[in-house]
Amino acid sequence: MALFIEKPLAFVWKDLINEVSYKFAFFMQVCGILVTTVTFFYLSKLLGEVGTSYLKPYGGDYFSFVLIGVAFFNYLKVSMDSLSASIREGQMVGTLEALLVTQTEIPTIILSSSLYSFIFASFKVAVYLILGAFFFGVDMGNANIMGAFLILLLTIVSFSSIGIISASFVMVLKKGNPVNWLFTNVSGILGGLYYPVSVLPKWLQKLSAMLPVTYSLEGMRLALLKGSSLNALLPNIAALTAFSAVMLPLSVLIFGYAVRRAKIDGTLTQY
Amino acid sequence: MSEITKLSYCIETQDLTKKYPVIKGYGGLFTHLFRKKEIAALQNVSIRIKRGELFGLLGSNGAGKTTLIKILCTLVLPTSGTAWMNGLDVTKDQKKIRKLIGYVVGDERSFYWRLTGRQNLTFFAKLNNVPRHDAQARIESLLSFMELQYDADRMFKDYSTGMKQKLAIARGLLTEPEIIFMDEPTNGMDPVSAQKFRKLIKEKLVKTEKKTVIFATHNLHEAEELCDRIAIIHKGEVKTAGLIGEIKREFHSGKGYVIELKGPVTGFLEKIPYITSARKVTIIPDNSFSDTTQIEVEIKDGDNDIFPIVKEIADLGGKICSFYEKEISLGELFSMVIGRK
Ligand SMILES: Nc1ncnc2c1ncn2[C@@H]1O[C@H](COP(=O)(O)OP(=O)(O)O)[C@@H](O)[C@H]1O
Ligand SMILES: [Mg+2]
Repeated sequence: MALFIEKPLAFVWKDLINEVSYKFAFFMQVCGILVTTVTFFYLSKLLGEVGTSYLKPYGGDYFSFVLIGVAFFNYLKVSMDSLSASIREGQMVGTLEALLVTQTEIPTIILSSSLYSFIFASFKVAVYLILGAFFFGVDMGNANIMGAFLILLLTIVSFSSIGIISASFVMVLKKGNPVNWLFTNVSGILGGLYYPVSVLPKWLQKLSAMLPVTYSLEGMRLALLKGSSLNALLPNIAALTAFSAVMLPLSVLIFGYAVRRAKIDGTLTQY
Repeated sequence: MSEITKLSYCIETQDLTKKYPVIKGYGGLFTHLFRKKEIAALQNVSIRIKRGELFGLLGSNGAGKTTLIKILCTLVLPTSGTAWMNGLDVTKDQKKIRKLIGYVVGDERSFYWRLTGRQNLTFFAKLNNVPRHDAQARIESLLSFMELQYDADRMFKDYSTGMKQKLAIARGLLTEPEIIFMDEPTNGMDPVSAQKFRKLIKEKLVKTEKKTVIFATHNLHEAEELCDRIAIIHKGEVKTAGLIGEIKREFHSGKGYVIELKGPVTGFLEKIPYITSARKVTIIPDNSFSDTTQIEVEIKDGDNDIFPIVKEIADLGGKICSFYEKEISLGELFSMVIGRK
């Protein structure tokens, strides 16, 4: 057990030292969060009561709605992007090869490489939520914390499986894949990141209903802002569970194939 | 392959062949499904390396040295053929093999540049399952072994090329491996550091620590200075392998001699084209102020000794004061070896 977490911790330690050495970049990230928060705060003042009917299911306040969305979209992005990004970086920079000859298996290497990104995403989400709750009057007084965690967990699993598939592509093709980029943007537009899905025309709403991001963001908002019970969250939980149940095994299968393929094609290594 | 021969060599490869697919872009991926384009990086490579040996892989760029090392380090799978290390199959016992080997990656990019030397080693020690209570001591001793103890807490990015390579060796030794692979580790070093570095490998790793070292290089002098035995690789094929001296003899067994002539030779030199017993005679340009002239003669194929030539030269009026077998340089040998069909 000690060994089981020792290696992931070693990666986090290494990434942290690396990150801290760029003090300015870290500072900029925190500033970015502040800027986004303030921008949306005044934007929602401008909107006033205009969108209330659409926002009713989430408590009616646009600022709270968008803050939760923007904050949690960080987790989605990290789940999808960090695995392939760490592989891509390792391939280009040349560290992957040095990692692969160690006595650590590939899945551990790759999962651990993205751990820091998750921790940092959590930090950012916490900053968003603390800013929102203590300085900008977002009311999460009766949040369903359990429900929120469950949605979060399912979100990470769902999107990590997309991330694993995309990492497999990167490993074999040695280039960033367009699928992730597309998925992130489509999710942003159709998944209800900046506005509720209900403002979209009916035919686009049908597309939204097929995207896991829609269920993640809605579930998260309902749990945090409305304190919806697990029962009320059931449609979201079910959708995400179903998605994970199909995609996770599939992604692991694809990943295993990709590792083998990469060793045959010589794409794991610097060349 | 019987168990006995598998174990008597530290490393043994048999008909190892590697073909890389050539795929360019997503379009290339599509056409690859129908028409496979491949590069043959290794072709039927069979070599044997003994325990405790400093074995050189000599070949120019693109010869296949790195590919061979990567296959042995389980980073790349061979297309066909097999390789064993201590009797373990590189394609089947990958986990056990990784415990056996240290891979000194020549590429300085394989470290984390914003971590210190010590932090880099600590990280890789964890990934290599070095027990926590051993790691500290082992890292310290490796740092001083590599003469890096005073620079251990500087960021890797501030290291010189030589220091980077030394740290790469230290990392390769973290697991106290039996077999160490080095892929052109002196690349980018100045000649003096490279010289010191080679001495360190030979004296400390091979003589003192009794490690088996496989050393890839494109530098002939490096191979000659360092290695007991070498394999010359060209375009993916092992052209020859063995002790350097033996390879030289095989390719140049007493075929060339240098003959030293005394006194005024102008009259004799004109007669050189008429010498019939030698295959070729050339005058070695002389820029010393001695009163001797050197000529180089090659014996005809099939002939065994030089005496008929010596006699003929004497008959033609040459005053021979000495003659000796010509030593060929590794450079000449290399071009002869790779030129051989
Ligand atoms: N990962 C790879 N993918 C495709 N071709 C490769 C790859 N690695 C090496 N090659 C090709 O294989 C040949 C041998 O390369 P390499 O083993 O690196 O030779 P060396 O180390 O002797 O310079 C070269 O022609 C090189 O272009
Ligand atoms: Mg090479």
